[in-house]
Amino acid sequence: MRAILALAQKDLLILVRLRSGIFFTIVWPLLIAIFFGLIFSGANEPSAKIGIAVVDEDRSPAAGEFIAKLETSKEFEVIRADRDQATKLVRQGKRIAAIMLPPGFGEASGRIFYGTPRRLEVWIDPSRRAESAMISGLLFKQAAEDMQKVMSDRSSSRNMVRKAMTDLNSAPDTDETKGTVRRFLGELDHFLDTAPSGSSGQQATAQWQPLEIQEKPVTSGSRGSQPDNSFDITFPQGILWGIIGCVMTFGIGIVSERTQGTLVRLQMSPISHRDLLAGKALACFAAIAVVQVALFLLGRFFFQVRPSSWLLLILAGLSIAIAFVGIMMLIAALGKTEQAAAGAGWAVMMPIAMFGGGMVPLFVMPAWMSTAGNFSPAKWAILALEGAIWRGFSFQEMLLPCGILVLVGIVCFAVGTRAFRPAA
Amino acid sequence: MLKFAGIHKAFGRIVAVDGLSLEVQQGEIFGLLGPNGAGKSTCVHIAVGLIEPDSGSVTVAGLGSPKIPEVRARIGVAPQMVSLYGPLSGTENLAFFGRMYGLAGRRLADRIGSALEFVGLTDRKGDLVRNYSGGMKRRLNLAAAILHEPELILLDEPTIGVDPQSRNSIFENILDLKKRGRTIVYTTHYMEEAERLCDHVGIMDHGKMLALDTVPGLLASHGGRPTLVTEISGKEVRMETSDPLAELNRLATSGPIGNFRVERTTLEQVFLNLTGRDLRE
Repeated sequence: MRAILALAQKDLLILVRLRSGIFFTIVWPLLIAIFFGLIFSGANEPSAKIGIAVVDEDRSPAAGEFIAKLETSKEFEVIRADRDQATKLVRQGKRIAAIMLPPGFGEASGRIFYGTPRRLEVWIDPSRRAESAMISGLLFKQAAEDMQKVMSDRSSSRNMVRKAMTDLNSAPDTDETKGTVRRFLGELDHFLDTAPSGSSGQQATAQWQPLEIQEKPVTSGSRGSQPDNSFDITFPQGILWGIIGCVMTFGIGIVSERTQGTLVRLQMSPISHRDLLAGKALACFAAIAVVQVALFLLGRFFFQVRPSSWLLLILAGLSIAIAFVGIMMLIAALGKTEQAAAGAGWAVMMPIAMFGGGMVPLFVMPAWMSTAGNFSPAKWAILALEGAIWRGFSFQEMLLPCGILVLVGIVCFAVGTRAFRPAA
Repeated sequence: MLKFAGIHKAFGRIVAVDGLSLEVQQGEIFGLLGPNGAGKSTCVHIAVGLIEPDSGSVTVAGLGSPKIPEVRARIGVAPQMVSLYGPLSGTENLAFFGRMYGLAGRRLADRIGSALEFVGLTDRKGDLVRNYSGGMKRRLNLAAAILHEPELILLDEPTIGVDPQSRNSIFENILDLKKRGRTIVYTTHYMEEAERLCDHVGIMDHGKMLALDTVPGLLASHGGRPTLVTEISGKEVRMETSDPLAELNRLATSGPIGNFRVERTTLEQVFLNLTGRDLRE
């Protein structure tokens, strides 16, 4: 056991002395966690508003009112422009979209039940297609709010109905629905005349509200809420990168021992092959544990990352360490030279990180990639950490990710030690 | 101290050691001389139990195979490749290797101090090994081999890439170890090193032991006779003779001799005579 401890101590000392080792195990993961944390935290800030240009070619009060609402909305940052300026701003990438209110917009704003509806043109930056649907949704939302307001006000509603009747009367007789619509508008006009005044207030609003959405976070546990901040999500990712740094450093380190002859010297000493590998595994395990603790404590004290359960966090950390020690041993067995081991190592680790949500969150991925992520230990590592930090997993819920991680570790370690070639 | 009996080892189709038998006595320096690829390092690896021979047996200190950890603990090895950790200091390297041999506490500290002093690195003990010169690394490589006071020390070409000053220092260390009763197996392809240090020398080539004797014995049995080189009438005349002085007297009676010298046979000549080729080919 003394020899195993000495081996582990020596490897940890070398890790500390290697600047690249410290960079890839602590500094780089921390930068990732902070960088992405700041990006995601910025999503709720004014700077995260969608920049649009608005062109008012109608110049009606209704168009002015519509634009004013866009300007005061929390989703958009609006600048007014003419058509040429607006398209130029989009083309230059300075605005994501240009929204044109063509002539007739105000006139059509009074039409809901019959006739041509309001029409908008949205010119979108082709490279920002992802925001296109979001912009359409937000414009529909504003239109729905306008409609809700009109329908909640009895006099506005009656004006709207009577305008529709006028439009209907001037419509050609070939319109087969004319009679049906006229009957409906008549009934509606009658309803607005005879409905009790008490029902025109709050009740009317509720009746004309197209959809009521209540957002509720799906979490449980002692915290019983959603992630406190974006760092709750990005620190598990950062920790994963720190672990990957450890795995690569130790995996290549074992190969270096072989190429630099120290492995031969160790094999010539009275320690057994098993003790030798155990020492390496212990060193890697300890390094992964230290990296996890260090990064988590940095997150805890500087970025308010707090676990829902310390015990489950320790369980997650241990499971992750076991999994990645096994992977480290596999990488050490893959290459004869440091270059080969580094190449093979990154070839293994990059897909693990990519498909496991280490680079981009799983929810952003297409379905097939997300499914492929089930085969990545990184996914289960992040899930285990999130489960202990903010998802509020119970012990039973933690068993699945932790069990998978331990299994991966055992299998990889067994394969790696069998495939590991002694120095001579 | 070390006994090889009919050792045979092949790597695929390449025969590295072919029926090797030898016995190294306690307290002597035994030289394994041969060109690169002769099988010397394989012999060292077999002697320390790193490689299992295909056939034959190895016995260390009369205790058994070096595969047994307790037996292996009695052996110290300075591998041909400098096998040290660059990011660690000299002291840290020795402390680590000492712990691999079960040393700890006060005894470990004492042994580190002695080993560093022995190889003359006390004043650089705190420096990182990656900042050492080649000669210093070789000396620390030797210190790591003797740290646990082994009875049998295997030195695999310990002077490769070393400057003359460090080489002399290593030679002195080796002779000092012999004085302390240690048994040393020294592999080299430098004949002058074998001549200077070794009590017995085994000459190897293609995995076979071609000859094994003391240096004078090898010279006598395989080196041929000394060569008398004379200058007579401005011409150099060379002649092999078992009695150069008598031959010189005979020549002097027949005319004046401008200059003369006697060329003794060397292990280089022995190797040439045994194999028909030069040691460094």
